[in-house]
Amino acid sequence: MRPLVLTIVVFIAGYITARFSLITQAIDLGYFAWDHGVLGRATKGFLILSLFFFLFFIPIERIASREIGLGEFLLMGSNGLMRVFWPLDFQRNSRPGILVGWRNSELDIFVVDILNGVDGRRIAEELSSRSLYRKSLHSVERIFELCGRTELHVLGSVNEEPGPLFQPDHIYAFTDKSCRYPQIFCPPASGIDFQVILFQRPHPRRMQYLSLTPISLALEDRMTNGSIGDGDDTIEEQRERERKAELVEKLKLHSVVRPTPTMKEKSLQMIIDQVNCSHEMRQLLKENVRLIMSRRSRRSLSVSERVVESATSLWRIVLKGLMDTAKFLWPFATKLFVLMILIWRLVAETLLRVLEWRLRPELAALKDISATAQQFDIRLQQFCYWPIQYVTLRRRKADWESVTTSHPDYIRFYNSLWLVANDVIIGIALGSYIIENASGVAYQIDYYLRAYTVEGMKAMISWLMERPGGLKLNDDLGNFLGDLFLWVIDYWADTMTNIRPHLPGVIYAIGFSSFAGASMPIALFSDLLSILTLHVYSFYIASARIYNWQLTIIISLFHLFRGKKRNVLRNRIDSCDYDLDQLLIGTILFTLLIFLLPTVLVFYLTFASARMAIIMLKAALETLLACLNHFPLFALMLRVKDSKRLPGGIRFELLDTVAVVKGFKRTYGVPPLSYINLKSTPLPFGAMFHQYFQLGQRIRKHYVSPHVILCLMTGRFVPPIHRKNLYSMQYSMLPTKRAGMLELWIRLTEDQPGNGAALAN
Amino acid sequence: MFVTSPKLRVRSPSPTTVEFTVTTAPSHLLTRQVVTWSTVLLRLLACSSGVLLVLLKYYPPQTFTLSAHVHAYIHLLLQSISVLSTRIPWQYLLPGAAAALYIAVFAPGYTEESLLVIRDLGVQISTTTWGGRRSRFIPTNAVRDLWIHEGFCGFEVRFYLAVVVEGEEGVVVVFPTLLPNRRILELVWRGAKGCLYEPRRVGR
Repeated sequence: MRPLVLTIVVFIAGYITARFSLITQAIDLGYFAWDHGVLGRATKGFLILSLFFFLFFIPIERIASREIGLGEFLLMGSNGLMRVFWPLDFQRNSRPGILVGWRNSELDIFVVDILNGVDGRRIAEELSSRSLYRKSLHSVERIFELCGRTELHVLGSVNEEPGPLFQPDHIYAFTDKSCRYPQIFCPPASGIDFQVILFQRPHPRRMQYLSLTPISLALEDRMTNGSIGDGDDTIEEQRERERKAELVEKLKLHSVVRPTPTMKEKSLQMIIDQVNCSHEMRQLLKENVRLIMSRRSRRSLSVSERVVESATSLWRIVLKGLMDTAKFLWPFATKLFVLMILIWRLVAETLLRVLEWRLRPELAALKDISATAQQFDIRLQQFCYWPIQYVTLRRRKADWESVTTSHPDYIRFYNSLWLVANDVIIGIALGSYIIENASGVAYQIDYYLRAYTVEGMKAMISWLMERPGGLKLNDDLGNFLGDLFLWVIDYWADTMTNIRPHLPGVIYAIGFSSFAGASMPIALFSDLLSILTLHVYSFYIASARIYNWQLTIIISLFHLFRGKKRNVLRNRIDSCDYDLDQLLIGTILFTLLIFLLPTVLVFYLTFASARMAIIMLKAALETLLACLNHFPLFALMLRVKDSKRLPGGIRFELLDTVAVVKGFKRTYGVPPLSYINLKSTPLPFGAMFHQYFQLGQRIRKHYVSPHVILCLMTGRFVPPIHRKNLYSMQYSMLPTKRAGMLELWIRLTEDQPGNGAALAN
Repeated sequence: MFVTSPKLRVRSPSPTTVEFTVTTAPSHLLTRQVVTWSTVLLRLLACSSGVLLVLLKYYPPQTFTLSAHVHAYIHLLLQSISVLSTRIPWQYLLPGAAAALYIAVFAPGYTEESLLVIRDLGVQISTTTWGGRRSRFIPTNAVRDLWIHEGFCGFEVRFYLAVVVEGEEGVVVVFPTLLPNRRILELVWRGAKGCLYEPRRVGR
């Protein structure tokens, strides 16, 4: 290309030089123009034109472009996306009717019901004069407030001949018996996208509802406490949380532009509420429309009808008398009941105070030591919480059933009731077995305890005293330690022999306690186990101490052996010049202790593993207790029976538009159209057992940590897991702070008129 | 069993609603049906043969009498299985049966993962496997961003499409098990971004 351009340029230059006269003529023309003032006039003209341009054309262009932009915006506003929420249980027939529902915005409508055989204009009038909400049980304002709108609208008509143009404020829809989905009239020329979102109405009476967030089975205040959390191993969690928060802050820097959310996007929660309310709203509309439409003329009754009437009225009189007596007695009965509850609450309060009492703040309370006390504590707290829960649930009756805030409370309340009932039933079965076979059970328990904790221990110690498994231990030290432990075991066995005659009695008592629930004998058995294996615990402590001392002595002697010494003040190892005799003695002692270590180690290992086995057994019993006390039984049953009552979020399903459109009877042009099914996802099983997983993780984190393993290996005291962490699940169904007597009294007595009113209704 | 490499399928009945599906199922409908039913059949076969072998080893057919209505073929079948089970010693039979059960339950069938974008509502991520369907819906005002990033996955680096959710610590990975390649991801990203938000208004 370039050579060609070059050639042309060279050619032109050559041509001009050859025809020099052309240039001279041009210069002559310039002189002529200058002489006659052409240049000045041209400049003037240019200036005037520029002035015009700057003064008029640019502003006009700006205004015009903005107008065009506005026009475009308006165009997009009107020709944008239209969203229709449509319940799936509409009547599939081809009768004409009108659509009534919420108008969330111009292009966002929510159909509550189709009213057949009524006049659209009249319904619109009735709706605006609010005479359609007359027969409502509860305040209509409340449901309007829930739905976030002030009134219902007539949205359009069904199965009527549409006009030529599409109007978003009055849509035309068609339904037919053979077609599952509604057809909406909208000529493609209007340029509107349609989203038809179909939903199955949740039934409020069956307590079904939709929710954006999964239902929480644990109490709210408990959960927030847990997330803030303090305890020994939550420091790590805290740090992790801070690190993550920092990362999230960084993440925010990544997204540069974020469109401002539109009204439709923000209204999702409101729409979910409207879906939840739609069933009751529809009931209300139906009832009122029926009232308006039925103008039945009253005719006089026939003789037989009169007879029936009088008979029923006699029955009514009897019923009324009964009701009056009941109404007269009712306040006394409730007063008595409230009084009983309060007395019971007083007893519970005293017992709870005793269980929580600590000698000094840093010491453990009774409920921290004993599983039985813990069990008592849980039951008492539950008894204290039930009246309040019940009152809260009762208050639900005074409101629309679509209000879904108390559904988790309902599940929690009945879950705990059911668990207690189950517990008692299992307890009665277990208790009657134990009572009938008290001596047999006592004999079995005694036999196993003796076989494992006395005879087994004795055999083990004797085996350790004489070269276990060919391991050459120090005979003298082994004999000494073994004799010591055997002596204690013998003493313990003697005491046990004294206790043995009373064991059937104890078992009998345990059997009786199980009428209060199967968790009681389990807790008692757990306590009994810790008492009857006290000697194993003491052996473990003693051997651990000996082992630990020996290990620390060996370590410090090892430093001496190397000519070093531990500086406690600076917490480091310094070199040190020992005397010869110090070194000699130290080295001799070091060798001695090193050779004696295996003997002590085998004893420590034996008792530590025995202790571990007992801890495992107790952990199994605790797990059983946790299952009996806090298993989400009711929630599981609901999940199987009716999973819509346990919403875990919502889900959309895109339907095949081609297949849907194929079913339509009318042949109008079809705009870009999508049919979407809105469904509720049930709560996943993982979320139900979330707390169990959390507890398991915490226990694993605590006991499989390097620190604890090191403690176990060096014979130091293994720190127990913080009780608060262990029982965070246990109390997740109960409030942190139980309501006082006064609060209970106020809550119970303010409920009284409500009760009376409910009965009067 | 019988899966293909991940393929993208886009369904968009209107410009405001798009569903992107990445699937390892055969694309042809008939093949898909055949494959589905044959895998179910294989699973059933593995399951039943494992259980039957153990049961017939434990209770040989001599110990129970079948009623006369039972078809002769079934009796013959039971006989032959029990002959087989008597030949295999317990220490091979039990782990073998356990393995068959495990395979029958946990062997992966085809996986289908989808991203449904609905303007003004939000995005929904779902994974359908043999075990069932998991889905999560994120409303638009909770969606902070949608991006493609790369991350370690075993010993390789994979691109992934993720939804950044407002106020959440982790990002939500779209197509988490299949992790399709970058070409597919870019297509999905463009489509989803275009569909999720309204087009930029002129003159503003």
